[in-house]
Amino acid sequence: MHADAPLESLMARYQQGDFACATALIHRLSPQLHRYFVVQFASRRDADDLLQETWLRIHQVRHTYRPGEPVLPWFYAIARHIRVDHYRRRSRAAGREERLEDMPEPAALPTVSGGTPDLETLLAPLSDSQREVVEMLKVAGMSLEEVARATSSSVGSVKQKAHRAYEKLRERLSGLGLGGERAGDASSTGGAS
Amino acid sequence: MNDQKIDDILKQAAQAPGQVDPALLERIAGAIQSSLRPVRPLPPAWVLSLGLVLVCVAVALAGAARSGFYGIQKMTDLERALIFPALGIFMALAAMACVGEMIPGSRRPVAPGSLVAGGSLALAAVFAALFHDYQTAHFVSQGLVCLAAGLFYAVPAALASWLVLRRGFAVNAAAAGLVTGTLAGLAGVTMLELHCPNFEAPHVMVWHTAVILVSAGAGALVGRWRRMRTGDAPSGSR
Repeated sequence: MHADAPLESLMARYQQGDFACATALIHRLSPQLHRYFVVQFASRRDADDLLQETWLRIHQVRHTYRPGEPVLPWFYAIARHIRVDHYRRRSRAAGREERLEDMPEPAALPTVSGGTPDLETLLAPLSDSQREVVEMLKVAGMSLEEVARATSSSVGSVKQKAHRAYEKLRERLSGLGLGGERAGDASSTGGAS
Repeated sequence: MNDQKIDDILKQAAQAPGQVDPALLERIAGAIQSSLRPVRPLPPAWVLSLGLVLVCVAVALAGAARSGFYGIQKMTDLERALIFPALGIFMALAAMACVGEMIPGSRRPVAPGSLVAGGSLALAAVFAALFHDYQTAHFVSQGLVCLAAGLFYAVPAALASWLVLRRGFAVNAAAAGLVTGTLAGLAGVTMLELHCPNFEAPHVMVWHTAVILVSAGAGALVGRWRRMRTGDAPSGSR
């Protein structure tokens, strides 16, 4: 029953204390939130911790969601806050050398079926903010307006980040020989805007 | 390679199943279940914004009533007709920004820094257009008195604003502090415009506008300090 229900109505029922809807939200949104953390260079274990922390925070501030508003920007804004907090705590606790050691090696290029690098590897050369924008647009399926809300920025800024991310991805994929055709389609902005 | 091709590659890469331990999901659900109760959602944004504006106007009026309405009595009709609507617009924008910062995933039409800088410049421009007495007698001593008075009334306005928004949750505490400080500073400036009879252009442009900037800066510092101290715990629950 809850599998196909809109996220907004599940959230409204969760606010009313419906445990089945809360569980449905957890099962539907956790994989993409988990991936959001993994894509941001968190280890699987860190991503598990961040996911748990995010849901506890979501539970604590669930009254701040206003029924009728898009729900994904609300979830991602909180997940982003948890991730930034985690990064700050970790930066304070560990030295720079240690953080660099923890970063995955982009040259390893683990692949999914079809020889395409997995998402984390694919997005590795992007900056944090570009990776975040691409993940929200292409994995979470959010609109530009929703990404702007989740990242507390403007639609123009999101478009610019996505455009720059696509430029980097184009170079990266062409270098890997995955493009088929060479770069030069800069006029085609459908994916990034 | 065109964007469509990149989209296809990203989609293919993203199709790999998300690996979340089912036991972790059960644990999360269990943790939530133990404290699951109905909650009352926040009121609409316009209600909260209106509440903030009313609080700031009330503080400004109370301050001017205590100190005297000398400023507004000395103003011409044109000065009144331009200064107070300008303050009202700035206050409304700051109140909307405050509410947006306290509700995750809200639309943010103007960045907090741009709001403070743009609003302060616009206000200074209104003052510059209206006041043409360029004397600077007792510039610092009288200016400090006005700055202190404005900030004195900004403090209760900030506390009252925090009360209105106590159930919100700031995902960026420094930005929330900045816009709350701006709003509180505007309450202080409104009080000064009602009270202060010194219409020397440098005095009004520098010291009255400075109330907003100092208050905004203090708000940002308080937000940052709170975040570092408390790990940015939500300011209210349920």
